[in-house]
Amino acid sequence: MDEEELVEYFRTQMRKDPDMASAVAAIRTLLEFLKRDKGETILGLRESLKWATDCLTKVDSSVAVSSGGELFLRFISLTSLEHQDLSRCKKVMEERGELFLEKISLSRTKVAKLCHTFIKDGAKILTHSYSRVVLRVLEKAAAEKKRFSVYVTESQPDAAGRQMADALRKLNVPVTVVLDAAVGYVLEKVDLVIVGAEGVVESGGIINKIGTYQTAVCSKAHNKPFYVVAESFKFVRLYPLNQQDVPDKFKYKADTLKTVQNLSEEHPMIDYTPPSLITLLFTDLGVLTPSAVSDELIKLYL
Amino acid sequence: MPGPDKETELTERIEAFLSDLKRGGSGTGPLRGSAETARETTALLRRITAQARWSSAGDLMEIIRKEGRRMTAAQPSETTVGNMIRRVLKIIREEYARSRGSSEETDQQESLHKLLTSGGLSEENFRQHFAALKANVIEAINELLTELEGTTDNIAMQALEHIHSNEVIMTIGRSRTVEAFLEDAARKRGDMKRKFHVIVAECAPFCQGHEMATSLSKAGIETTVIADAAIFAVMSRVNKVIIGTQTVLANGGLRAVNGTHTLALAAKHHSTPLIVCAPMFKLSPQFPNEEDTFHKFVSPHEVLPFTEGEILSKVNVHCPVFDYVPPELITLYISNIGGHAPSYIYRLMSELYHPEDHEL
Repeated sequence: MDEEELVEYFRTQMRKDPDMASAVAAIRTLLEFLKRDKGETILGLRESLKWATDCLTKVDSSVAVSSGGELFLRFISLTSLEHQDLSRCKKVMEERGELFLEKISLSRTKVAKLCHTFIKDGAKILTHSYSRVVLRVLEKAAAEKKRFSVYVTESQPDAAGRQMADALRKLNVPVTVVLDAAVGYVLEKVDLVIVGAEGVVESGGIINKIGTYQTAVCSKAHNKPFYVVAESFKFVRLYPLNQQDVPDKFKYKADTLKTVQNLSEEHPMIDYTPPSLITLLFTDLGVLTPSAVSDELIKLYL
Repeated sequence: MPGPDKETELTERIEAFLSDLKRGGSGTGPLRGSAETARETTALLRRITAQARWSSAGDLMEIIRKEGRRMTAAQPSETTVGNMIRRVLKIIREEYARSRGSSEETDQQESLHKLLTSGGLSEENFRQHFAALKANVIEAINELLTELEGTTDNIAMQALEHIHSNEVIMTIGRSRTVEAFLEDAARKRGDMKRKFHVIVAECAPFCQGHEMATSLSKAGIETTVIADAAIFAVMSRVNKVIIGTQTVLANGGLRAVNGTHTLALAAKHHSTPLIVCAPMFKLSPQFPNEEDTFHKFVSPHEVLPFTEGEILSKVNVHCPVFDYVPPELITLYISNIGGHAPSYIYRLMSELYHPEDHEL
């Protein structure tokens, strides 16, 4: 599979199912790449998979794609430790890969099941930008006949919040779009804040659309619970200590990275929220406190 | 015939326990008897294991879950019952896995690692029959009972590390665990002798603080009783706050007697360490989100007696029993297995209970 085919397959996956997370599309693409790979050695396989992940990040530079790629690579390493013979190994990998994809397709449902009990009747929720997981949680809460209203931030520069508001209106949930700058203003009326995450880092913090950090700081100041909903494949092996530590390749869109010379004049698309501002994380592995996240990552990578 | 007699005897005991639970939660002693409740529950579960009819681990777990649901419904605020049931369910899972010969540790919990490496959607249905399972489970439950008996002593043994000479310690209400903790430190003789002063907040309206003060002074500890309203005023003179609790929640927070949140906030304001003495059987996998089961209200007679008839018709009176304390206000948990930070509670929970048992 060459670069063009790879990118085309990835784009088709994203187009076919707009509801699918980009990490899942990346893993699906890498699995297809694995099936078509003609390599003879496991080391060669790893090299080509790393190359494939790089190609995908050039198309979509989000943290999710990178974490999906890393997870797949780890999956390969773990499986190859068990079976030394390459052809058998590949068969096992393909089977397990399909199974893995099946399991993570259920992860959003699991998260929704855990989180909706935290939404009480009459609650006012604040959310940031467009997140499919948060949408699923609110769908489940609405299905459980809970009455709640939602404030969504507009989330410039791409106004993704409006997309979220449209989707919520279809569910008959009363929704108000607010300016990003109005988060502090609106927080006194709000009972809880729920956001999604593009990546969950080792410290238990999250990487999400720009404006999330601001919302977290404001909710801490107002003593409102700040909940994060994320699937487990978004856990990534980064440990940023501040905003500068997040690698530039995640902060800007892929095309911006390719064309622009002076990045300091560009607006970053994501920011980092430290774990001290997060109350709880809802994942398909259960309800976790931020300190439990690094435990999970250690279990996987060590 | 021995068969049906045992069964009826068993159901009688279960019914007696249930009615005891329903009656016992009258609000006059929310912290009293947590340890006894835990012991009774475990003894009852051992009896069920021994006497009920079951052929596989799955059956036993179903029976225990069914009885467990009835027990927790009888008294939702008494979480130790649910905790013990979950412990026993975990014991059954472990013994079953051990009998099957599989490595139980890695198979139990959900984790990223398991997602990536497992061969199939694990459908563990516990249907296999093992002859030795009954004996193993009963032995494990006996170990659990021994552990329960030693909890207060284990906690009290750690007193010397935390209480130093000439300290002023504050506590609220009455907790058997804290009483044992403080008395142990006061009892030492020779060069380990600690002389310290205890201030007890009376914890209206049940005023259990008075009883606590009486028993502490019998042990030779200088005690002062203060009203709840004076907590903040006195806090600047206090070196440490040591409290007990009814439940430890899954996020590291507490469900403790009312007035504890005030105490915790006052301690935070003065940067005074807040130490919670809680045995492991009080750890519950609940989060503080369920409004209807979190709080318990008892007769408002304690707050405003019925003799004040005129006012009663014009006023709403509530008497909540519990308070929620968020984990940020707590410095240290002392349990029978040692001291832990509140952020570590998730780990203890994953060791004690299986995630599928969180919902009985």
